[in-house]
Amino acid sequence: MDADLDVKIRRMGDIPVVDLAGDIDGYTCIKLRDVIIELLKAGDRKVVISMAKVSYIDSSGLGTLVGGLRRINEHDGGLALSGAGPQIRKVLSITGLSKVFSVFNDETEAIRSL
Amino acid sequence: MARKARSVEPTPAEALASVDGSSERDGWKPEDLKMFQFLRGVLNHIDIAYVATYPPQECGIATFTRDLVTAISKYTPFSDPVVVAVSGEADIEPYPKIVKFQIRKPNPRSYLDAAEFLNQSQISVVNIQHEYGIFGGQDGEYILDFLRKLRKPVVATLHTVLFDPYPNQRRIVREIAELCSAVVVMVKMGKQMLIENYGIPPERIVVIRHGVPNVHRVSATVAKKALGISDRPVLSTFGLINRGKGVEYAIRAMPRILEKHPDALYLVLGETHPGVRNYEGESYRKELLQLVADLGLEQHVRFNNRYLMLEELISYLCATDVYITSYVNRDQIVSGTLAYALGCGKAIVSTPYLYAEEVLSKGKGMLVDFRSPDEISQAVDYILLNPGFREEMEARAYRYGRRAAWFNVAIDYLDLFHSTRSLPKAAPAVIPSRVNPNKTDRSKTA
Repeated sequence: MDADLDVKIRRMGDIPVVDLAGDIDGYTCIKLRDVIIELLKAGDRKVVISMAKVSYIDSSGLGTLVGGLRRINEHDGGLALSGAGPQIRKVLSITGLSKVFSVFNDETEAIRSL
Repeated sequence: MARKARSVEPTPAEALASVDGSSERDGWKPEDLKMFQFLRGVLNHIDIAYVATYPPQECGIATFTRDLVTAISKYTPFSDPVVVAVSGEADIEPYPKIVKFQIRKPNPRSYLDAAEFLNQSQISVVNIQHEYGIFGGQDGEYILDFLRKLRKPVVATLHTVLFDPYPNQRRIVREIAELCSAVVVMVKMGKQMLIENYGIPPERIVVIRHGVPNVHRVSATVAKKALGISDRPVLSTFGLINRGKGVEYAIRAMPRILEKHPDALYLVLGETHPGVRNYEGESYRKELLQLVADLGLEQHVRFNNRYLMLEELISYLCATDVYITSYVNRDQIVSGTLAYALGCGKAIVSTPYLYAEEVLSKGKGMLVDFRSPDEISQAVDYILLNPGFREEMEARAYRYGRRAAWFNVAIDYLDLFHSTRSLPKAAPAVIPSRVNPNKTDRSKTA
């Protein structure tokens, strides 16, 4: 029940899908940051982050997503978000970050966009 | 390498740099600047002015305002928030730089000047933190002069909604609602009271929870060890101490609690409310100390007579087994201290004041009667003897606290501010001139 973030990676063809479950906040966002860095080190350039099981995200979590996007862009890659629920979409919309990220309801769509 | 000291509110660059922790580890790169410029162009921009007391003033509303400003600023790193602080006539407060203007509480002219200052500014929306006592005039009515002169959309957060107000108090709240685009209360009961007892249209009232710090729980055992109080059942109460908190009833409960928990320790954390100190000094605290001595509880009740910083407060809360709020006034419609205890996922025993009754419903805490040491002791005893029951209660409290974390509350406020910013001033309100007199009878809804 404690607020935490589970991070798992699975592959859909060549694309890694990062499954997140829990809260992305100042305590947990480093897990997400590290996994993106590891994927880039391993040579991945296109990444989907599945937000379907993310309950809450704070400004640190948003910053980590922006940081991830920056890193991926440096490598001419692509980042897409999939499955974000209403609360996460509301945060993205209110901050204006919905104009920064490619956000898809469906994971297949997200993969296809990259 | 020594880090540069930071002000409370980060600059936009600092805010952006801090978001993923990359700046200090990796150093800035040209791509960062590009990203920074890109984000500055696309992120939503809103300049908000907050009118309230503000730290270093010590009061609950000042703390609330600072927490709200900080939380919202994290989502709006390219906006320029402003605080108009309400100060005493002769007070010189070392305010942070975000405070751009001061209202001198007893000076009516000061309210008009503040309104004019904001009228001339780039501010998109104004948020007032309202409590009768923080503004000047009878029942704080000078705030109405400010609102009448202001030509910006306003959202008022009401920290006090009296069930049965005096006519002047009712008039002020009604007029605030007329002059604002929206009023915010922190519990549903507050909305119901505004509708039924004040005649305010429901569409003008928004419920947004009281924010709580983002706390990831640590075991009480670990937290106690850090504080040097290992192996003792810990009960606590915190906040600015005043007679309304009813601390004496919790102290009087201690002898019964000690019968089954002989090592129990009750911590009363916080200094005397500065406003109370001004008119009665430390007499309430002295009475509490005398009570502790009379009951022979010196080893079981400890006072920490100072204003606690957030980190320290969280440490004490994490070390707490049972948190107690024993307010004596049922009209209390918000309690920051109770909200914080929920945020830390604590088992809570409380008297049934309005805020507690609502937020502790559905098993998030145990309600006991007002002024009843016996009921407090029974509830504490039950929680301490039933770990499964306690864990479930803590889990429910924590889940509530996550939803009410400041980062979520900030989004709710931002949503409201964005929706009101396009309004030139309050949209016309249709507030009935009379309210249902039956609804002023407390027994009808209590």
